[in-house]
Amino acid sequence: MEIRLNGESRFIDKVTNLSVAGLLEMEQVASPEMVAVQLNGEIVDRGTYQNTMIVDRNEVDFLYFMAGG
Amino acid sequence: MVQLTDTQLDRYSRHIILQEVGPEGQEKLMNARVLVIGAGGLGSPIALYLAAAGVGCIGIVDADVVEISNLQRQVIHFSSDMQRPKVESAAEKMRAINPDIEVNTYKIYLNASNIQEIISGYDFVLDGTDNFATKFLINDACVMAGLPFSHGGILRFDGQTMTVLPGHSSCYRCSFRQPPPPDAVPSCSQAGVLGAIAGMLGTIQAAEALKFITGAGTLLTDTLLTFDAKNMHFRRVSLKKRSDCPLCGENPTLHELEEGDRATCDLSA
Amino acid sequence: MKADRFEDLSGVRCPLNYAKTKMLLSNMESGQTLEIILDDGPPIRNVPGSVQQEGHVILCQEKQGDQWNVVIKKV
Ligand SMILES: [Zn+2]
Repeated sequence: MEIRLNGESRFIDKVTNLSVAGLLEMEQVASPEMVAVQLNGEIVDRGTYQNTMIVDRNEVDFLYFMAGG
Repeated sequence: MVQLTDTQLDRYSRHIILQEVGPEGQEKLMNARVLVIGAGGLGSPIALYLAAAGVGCIGIVDADVVEISNLQRQVIHFSSDMQRPKVESAAEKMRAINPDIEVNTYKIYLNASNIQEIISGYDFVLDGTDNFATKFLINDACVMAGLPFSHGGILRFDGQTMTVLPGHSSCYRCSFRQPPPPDAVPSCSQAGVLGAIAGMLGTIQAAEALKFITGAGTLLTDTLLTFDAKNMHFRRVSLKKRSDCPLCGENPTLHELEEGDRATCDLSA
Repeated sequence: MKADRFEDLSGVRCPLNYAKTKMLLSNMESGQTLEIILDDGPPIRNVPGSVQQEGHVILCQEKQGDQWNVVIKKV
């Protein structure tokens, strides 16, 4: 399937049933607590990462927490 | 009736000849009151540019003193300012750039019980703080007060900023909900920052303040501007004001300010 | 023809001459006229065009010696 991740096109093969949690893992996001995930323009509730599925043509944005000033 | 002296006309001529600013816009800047929270990496360029632009009254908040590790990116402070209160060091430079302006200094830590009083009376707030507790506190207090503000954050080679017009556009909580757990926040060894990143982001925030005051252009509302300076890649992520936002949504659960844990790795600092 | 306002901007360099012109125009009513004196060279090449770009009308522009008389009607 093809998704847009952080504004860029990504082809994901050989994976069925990709969840938000799975995508975070696949992208090697070291601390998912430091990211808010936006799926097709909606913020995904943290408690539902395991059972929120990503399908073809989805748009996913990782919004990183940045505290530095 | 716009009244500018010849010296002011000369000083601000590059603003005045801009069609979107003009003498009227410059007068708005001179009558504006803007609060800069944090006199660190972001607060330094913000305060310098607002002062240079002739923003009539600028408040600056910071409880810390200048330390040698600040000087790599906090360009409003000089080597000779070591151990001076940051607000004092910053105010001196701002007045030196532009003697026309009024600078109010607040050498305090913001908390749930003092923030409302400090922000009241300002037209726009800029967040240049270095910890999540204060970033959420500023968001909450500004949204509750209906006060427009600019959020900003930097880390390593990255920066992010958005402008919030309470009641009209998405707030920081709409997307980020609540501070991350303290043990997930990068430790000191991981939390470096390339000095110039602070300038890149702070000047974007300062430009947003000037645009808000003069009405020029369109603001970074409902938009998170992020950049990765390692590859010099800029991106705008569209955000929405969420009906389920705990603060500005339809059934808010946050009705008063939360006292958060401010202690993090000393980044501004 | 006598303009509503007059300002001698001879010796005033770019872009301060234009800033002063904008300042004067912003304190006038729509339809009123402003006469300015501009030096030859960059001032006459830049100021009237910039004034026009903001929508004002140049009613006349004539050379007198090495200076220019420009009459602007505020939009
Ligand atoms: Zn919100």
